[in-house]
Amino acid sequence: MKTYKQPSSVGRFGEFGGMYVSETLMPLLLNLDKSYKKIQKDKKFKKELNDLFKNYVGRPSSLHYAKNLSKYINGPKVYFKRDELNHTGAHKINNCLGQILLAKKMGKTRIIAETGAGQHGVATATVCALFGLPCYIYMGSKDIERQKPNVFRMKLLGATIIPVESGSKSLKDAMNEALRDWIKNVRDTFYIIGSTAGPHPYPKMVRDFQSVIGKEAREQILKVEKKLPDFLIACVGGGSNAMGLFYPFLNDKKVKIIGVEAAGRGAKTEETAATMTSGTPGILHGSYSYVLQDNDGQIKEAHSISAGLDYPGVGPEHSYLKDIKRVKYYGITDKEALEAFQTCSKLEGIIPALEPSHALAYLIKAFKNKHKNKVVILNLCGRGDKDLFTAAKAIGFDADE
Amino acid sequence: MQMNNLDSLPKKKILSLFMTCGFPTLNYSKKIFNEMLSHQPDIIEFGLPFSDPMADGPIIQEANKLALRSKLSTQHSLNLIKYLSKSKNNTSFVIMCYLNTIRKFGLNKFIKNIKNIVDGIIIVDLPFEEESAIKNSLSKNNIHLIKLISPMTDKKRSQKLLKNSKGFIYYISATGITGSNKLDYKEINKNVKSIKKMSSVPVLVGFGIKSKKDVIDIFKKTNADGVIIGSALIQKYFDLKMDFNKYLKGLKKFIKEVKV
Repeated sequence: MKTYKQPSSVGRFGEFGGMYVSETLMPLLLNLDKSYKKIQKDKKFKKELNDLFKNYVGRPSSLHYAKNLSKYINGPKVYFKRDELNHTGAHKINNCLGQILLAKKMGKTRIIAETGAGQHGVATATVCALFGLPCYIYMGSKDIERQKPNVFRMKLLGATIIPVESGSKSLKDAMNEALRDWIKNVRDTFYIIGSTAGPHPYPKMVRDFQSVIGKEAREQILKVEKKLPDFLIACVGGGSNAMGLFYPFLNDKKVKIIGVEAAGRGAKTEETAATMTSGTPGILHGSYSYVLQDNDGQIKEAHSISAGLDYPGVGPEHSYLKDIKRVKYYGITDKEALEAFQTCSKLEGIIPALEPSHALAYLIKAFKNKHKNKVVILNLCGRGDKDLFTAAKAIGFDADE
Repeated sequence: MQMNNLDSLPKKKILSLFMTCGFPTLNYSKKIFNEMLSHQPDIIEFGLPFSDPMADGPIIQEANKLALRSKLSTQHSLNLIKYLSKSKNNTSFVIMCYLNTIRKFGLNKFIKNIKNIVDGIIIVDLPFEEESAIKNSLSKNNIHLIKLISPMTDKKRSQKLLKNSKGFIYYISATGITGSNKLDYKEINKNVKSIKKMSSVPVLVGFGIKSKKDVIDIFKKTNADGVIIGSALIQKYFDLKMDFNKYLKGLKKFIKEVKV
């Protein structure tokens, strides 16, 4: 079997990826790529990052055997990779620490980021506070409304939040505005992209920083089960938590890998965020990948109850993995995710974020009474605190009662 | 093969006017472009609306939004350009768009629609590294792929980009998105001079040129061969509270002013 070696030196995952940006950004991206290649060989950088992972984030995150959920499903043994236990409550911090160390090395003095659910915004604001750099977060006004706790967190951490009123007022539009800011302030600013999306080298860089998840999970499962897992499951918006878990297993052909997208009100409806189920290849935010678009190539607005998955694009590596059939992708609706959100809370005593609730929903639906004696690792990439208001409203729970 | 108007641009004081196709609606857009054409500018740039114009500022973004809201398709835009080409005369027609628009329409079909009508294309998000296939197809049909140079483009990269350049060179005057930031004449002059050493085609300065004074200053304080005005033409519409008749008159006055 061929060893998995993606992307190419110019950031191609098969035909996907690449760098589709204006000439104002091009020199900067090439420079970023060069700097990133350099620090990958830098032992001091690695040591610094590992130290932060251990002492600041609390890594390694545990691998928890979800006994009650496994019993409920009556199928495989389910393990949660608990990246929701990380400092700041999600996997996003892994990548932010890597990128801010790089920004420091490159002499950048101002940090910008986009955020959907606010998890990446909080993680970016956190590392900016830690390293004493000014932080500007672009966030769609619709997301500001539905992720209030995270908005307050970012403000406490000293970040400036810039509401985005254009388009669907969510993640896609926040990314447009962040890119515009970057074009304007190209000399002093570092853009910390939170997902495996965007132009090269971001999809590779973010995957590499997040792959600590998969590396740990691999070691942990080998220790407890004495074998590799049979399945990996993770939710996919832009796709960073999923790539983080999947990447170290891609060469293990026996490990079946499943990505779960947000289908919103249904993958066949107009209100969906299931890019790979309902989209076609196109160019968005500097890379070639599956996108939700109309016949004229206009990008459609996505819909998902989960702000973190509410994105009409997907990281180019996922598009590649879909096309070579290494990973299978399925859609889960808002309703199904909400049910899994409650089931997991009740059964395991863990309130998951709405994003991994999609992965949980797929697991419960597709594995019920099946795959006995198999082992599944599910990436529990974020905790649900931020979603309490959204979920309560959707479930019809009145907090004043 | 028909002549390419861009090959016979004047030597100095080239004026290029940018306007979004279908803004604010297709019918009004026809009137706007007819008005622009009646002044016989050296170049007209036709912006094809895109849902996510990440290299454009808020004004052009808004224009794109209005055009798309009136259900404008790529085919509508290309038909509009074809219709206008009847009164083209010496004006060069240039399309400015994002790559996804061409990709989705189909490159060959796109070229078929604009061949012998359009002289050049600026594809904002198509960098040098990704251009070769498209550039070949375009040049076979005598359509120039216009190069953008930014203040971030260093000398070595400029040399690579400007090799065999045709039509004109679009120098991005500010490291800003269209219609923002102030003009830095010293920096513009330095970079334009350095570009002119590497290429013999005219260098036009764009991004952030808003008034007659800006145009005069560019020609007085820098070595640029021409200017590109875009956002300022569209801004007028919003300044005049979207009163179309007033806008058309305002546009006429403004274009007369900037034709220095």
